[in-house]
Amino acid sequence: MSATAKTYGLLAQFDTAAGIFEAALKVRDAGYKKWDVFTPFPIHGMDEAMGLKSSKVGYFTICGGVTGFFTGMTMIWFMNMFDYGLVVGGKPLFTPLFAFPVSYELTILLSAFATLFGMLVLNRLPKLYNPLFKVARFKAATDDKFFICIEAADPKFAEAKAVLENAGATAIEIVED
Amino acid sequence: MNFPLIFKRLLALFACAGLLAFASARLLAAEAEHEAPAAGAAADAHMEGAAIHHTVVSAEAKNPTYFEQFLYSYLTAFMFCLSIVMGGMFLVIVHYLFDAGWSVPIRRINEQIAALIPWMWGFSAPILLFAPEVYPWWNIDPATDHALNVKKILFNPISFRVLLMAIFGLWTFMAFRFRKWSIAQDKDGAAIWSRKCRFQAAWGIYAFAFSLTVVVFLLMKSLMHQFFSTMYGVYYFAGSVWTTLATVYGIMRFLEKRELKGVIFKNTVHFLGTLFFAFTVFYAYIHFSQYFLIWNAAIPEETFWYVKREAGSWWGVGMLILFGHFFFPFLVLLRIDTKMSMVTMGPMIVWAWLMHYADMTFNVMPVLYPNGLHLTLWDPICWFGLAGFLAWRFWRNYKSAAPYPLKDPRLKEALNHHEVPAPGAAAAHH
Repeated sequence: MSATAKTYGLLAQFDTAAGIFEAALKVRDAGYKKWDVFTPFPIHGMDEAMGLKSSKVGYFTICGGVTGFFTGMTMIWFMNMFDYGLVVGGKPLFTPLFAFPVSYELTILLSAFATLFGMLVLNRLPKLYNPLFKVARFKAATDDKFFICIEAADPKFAEAKAVLENAGATAIEIVED
Repeated sequence: MNFPLIFKRLLALFACAGLLAFASARLLAAEAEHEAPAAGAAADAHMEGAAIHHTVVSAEAKNPTYFEQFLYSYLTAFMFCLSIVMGGMFLVIVHYLFDAGWSVPIRRINEQIAALIPWMWGFSAPILLFAPEVYPWWNIDPATDHALNVKKILFNPISFRVLLMAIFGLWTFMAFRFRKWSIAQDKDGAAIWSRKCRFQAAWGIYAFAFSLTVVVFLLMKSLMHQFFSTMYGVYYFAGSVWTTLATVYGIMRFLEKRELKGVIFKNTVHFLGTLFFAFTVFYAYIHFSQYFLIWNAAIPEETFWYVKREAGSWWGVGMLILFGHFFFPFLVLLRIDTKMSMVTMGPMIVWAWLMHYADMTFNVMPVLYPNGLHLTLWDPICWFGLAGFLAWRFWRNYKSAAPYPLKDPRLKEALNHHEVPAPGAAAAHH
């Protein structure tokens, strides 16, 4: 590591799910904004313990869904009535009735796409590099250890070490960028 | 809190009104008796007209007698109430099938709703007794009516009465055993009661599906016996569970700070609201499919049913069901917060009852009033009489046992949902 390496943040290790849950509450209540929790499995209530609001991804979903629905309706209207009118089975050239199954499918399809891509955008993924990967002990985040990382960019970073110690961290180390 | 007392008196009043209505209906029927043969002949002509010419508005729009009006309003209210009771049964069955944890605290509500079924058995008496005056096929000779001839195995007086009696008996048997075992578990917490319930749920889901379909075919679909729809049973079921979920949601929120204090969490409310939302979509999916297949195939034996329901103001009722039963609740309930707040869910519950009643009316009433929607005083009297009586019995039964399964092995899972302290309250949380 070069001597000029910038500090990325502080990584604190916890040994139990209950421990990190309580710690997350403390970090949240201390007013930190730029921090994250890493656990081997989902912990119920962690979103709220971290003070995370309901995900914005739903707005992407509804935009995708509405687009899909109207795409389906417009497409069938355009093809069957406007561009090349064709009578099938004595039915009207266009009615929302037979356009509905296709519109419905497109609603689902574009909702799913919008949800997936909206999620990637909101999570800033794909991300090929994260300074945490350089920390040896961080590998245990996929096994049996729990971590909190407070980034140096947070205005309250100066007191971060004390907060994490107070929260019951079993190990704390500085992560370099 | 003196709510239950007022509640009781109000319900007793409604029950009395219902009984009075029934008694007076009999008297009025005697006065109208001489009209009966003419009405029967008109019905025959009407059926033929439907089968051959698919007439939209029947020319012979006769005035139904008070007694017929009462019977049809009664049938509508009966189907409405039956849907809530059987919806309760379904929620109990599905709880055991999935071995669910979150719904343990509300299971006693569902069990008590399902255990109202013997009352429905009793309330089916007027329909069974006066079936000849309700069901046009009763007075038609199968030899003269092809549609009836091929369906006479089901649509004949003996099958009608025997099947209904047997199925209501089966439902009572199932509902009572579910409740008995669940209450037995309150004492000892033994897992054997859960296993017994699970076993009954396993065969019960098949019994439920087939028997409910048969009952709906007999009681509601046979009003227009020429009609074909394999989806009719599941169509009734979808609306039924939808209405039950709204009702159970309302009861749960009412009891949340009373009998169910400390066992209802945000998760429970969210899950039940989501299930209600899911059935909003499921109902629309089923009803659209039934309509779409019939519309697409354009076979006269099927289309006449909907053609009749486009006559006069029935078209408006159909639109109300399309937009009110699906689009409006769907859009309102898309958000998480609207599913969890009584500000939106309170009116939505009442709306759901109204929409389900409109749906039942849409199925039953066009037989009696072919030219359009026609509401009489019998409608509110029958609805409040039946629903009020059942609500009163429900409340009595519910108070007589523990408010939720006290020692269910899965109760711990429902109570384990971590309530996360709000910012600043973490210090007090230990």
